[in-house]
Amino acid sequence: MGKRILVEDQIRKNKQLTVLICAFMVLLFMGVIFAFGYIYFNNIYIALAFGLPIALVYVGITYSFSVQTVLSAAKARPANHKVREEKLLIYKVEEMAIAAGLPTPKVYVQESENINAFATGKKPEKSVICVTTGALHKLKTDELEGVIGHEMSHIKNHDILIATVTIAVVGTIALISEILFYSLFWGGAGRGRKNEGNAILLVIAILFVILAPIFSRLTYLMISRRREYLADSNGAYLTRNPEGLAKALEKIKTDHPKGKPRGSKTVAPLYIANPFKRSASSKGSIWATHPPIDERIRRLRSM
Amino acid sequence: MDPLLLIAIIVIIFVAIFALIYWGFYNKIIRTENRIDNSWSQIDVQLKRRADLIPNLMETVRGYMKHEREVLENVTKARSAIMSAKTPQENIDADNMLTGALKSLFAVSENYPDLKANQNFLNLQDELTHTEDKIAYSRQHYNDSVLAYNNTIETFPGIWFAKRMSRKTREMLQIPEASKELPKVSF
Repeated sequence: MGKRILVEDQIRKNKQLTVLICAFMVLLFMGVIFAFGYIYFNNIYIALAFGLPIALVYVGITYSFSVQTVLSAAKARPANHKVREEKLLIYKVEEMAIAAGLPTPKVYVQESENINAFATGKKPEKSVICVTTGALHKLKTDELEGVIGHEMSHIKNHDILIATVTIAVVGTIALISEILFYSLFWGGAGRGRKNEGNAILLVIAILFVILAPIFSRLTYLMISRRREYLADSNGAYLTRNPEGLAKALEKIKTDHPKGKPRGSKTVAPLYIANPFKRSASSKGSIWATHPPIDERIRRLRSM
Repeated sequence: MDPLLLIAIIVIIFVAIFALIYWGFYNKIIRTENRIDNSWSQIDVQLKRRADLIPNLMETVRGYMKHEREVLENVTKARSAIMSAKTPQENIDADNMLTGALKSLFAVSENYPDLKANQNFLNLQDELTHTEDKIAYSRQHYNDSVLAYNNTIETFPGIWFAKRMSRKTREMLQIPEASKELPKVSF
């Protein structure tokens, strides 16, 4: 076991890193727009006039439909007060909301043998926590509490907002670079730049536009993993019991029920563990939405 | 440029920055104060709710537990202590008393299979455990809020503003070291 880290310190470190990565994302976005303007119009302002509205509209649309899309993709239903198991789940969510100082989210249940849970909602006042029936059957009270604490932290940290916005930015960067690609092939680009002869700059700009979508996707995944660690440590701070979540994660790691996972891939980062990729849990990949489960458990146990 | 004008501009900028910082800290202090008050009222609500559940519980239990007068009396005593408590710490102490009394009541209930099968009793037990957890978490949130407040007004530059607003640090609630789970009793 490594040296013990204060939960508060880990929370602060995680937040700082997120800010840094987000700044990089914004830089990438601006860079793509400028490169686009440089190659296509030889004028960055026209690109700015096109790129920003596209990005904003895209963000707005994804954002306003997010909750309904997520819930119907997961085929989730509201928790039933009459079933004892689900009543106790509602109770636990109320308790965690008090601990976090948030209004109580709506509680939903997803029929699935997998142990999983996710949170969604545009703002903390209108949020939803959804837990699978598998989690209700297989997790003990303190483990379930750990999972709910994790989801409550996603809500408190506005991770749902961060996820939708970053997804939208990644989408916009991909869109711009695609437009540019096509226009280069059809020979539409480079109008009025024949006599300038700054070939190196042009090549750099083109290279940048090719690489930007890959970088932005990687940055997005990095943010997603960072937020997972943050939600883990925040959740442990809420329950004052890191061991509960650690034990729950251990169960998720060893539990592989049959049957296909359900849900939307876009919201995979909002689940407590990626429901679509179970095998990748042992080693970390730069393409993973979640950090390796073993590392998450190790960090929880070192608190 | 006229050096006097330059000095004037610099002074104005400094004053503006100072005013902005003061504004920020003023709002932050007031906001955290409100949060502390609000989380106290949360605890209060839960304490009352719990006290309200006790008569129901007594009604359900009385028929079954004929020989446990002392256990039942302790619960009733703790409840009236909550009802008459005035200060936050008094409230919390009375609540701790109730928690202990309920713990022994639920432990003793293991001896009465008929009672354990009573749906009403089970529901009350669930709800009382739930309110107990809620109280524990609202205290935790209260203390978290107090900590944030104290940190704001005790560190620089907050300490300077807090002095001018004549604010003092708040007391945290003393929470006893108690396990969350009900004790396992064997007879």
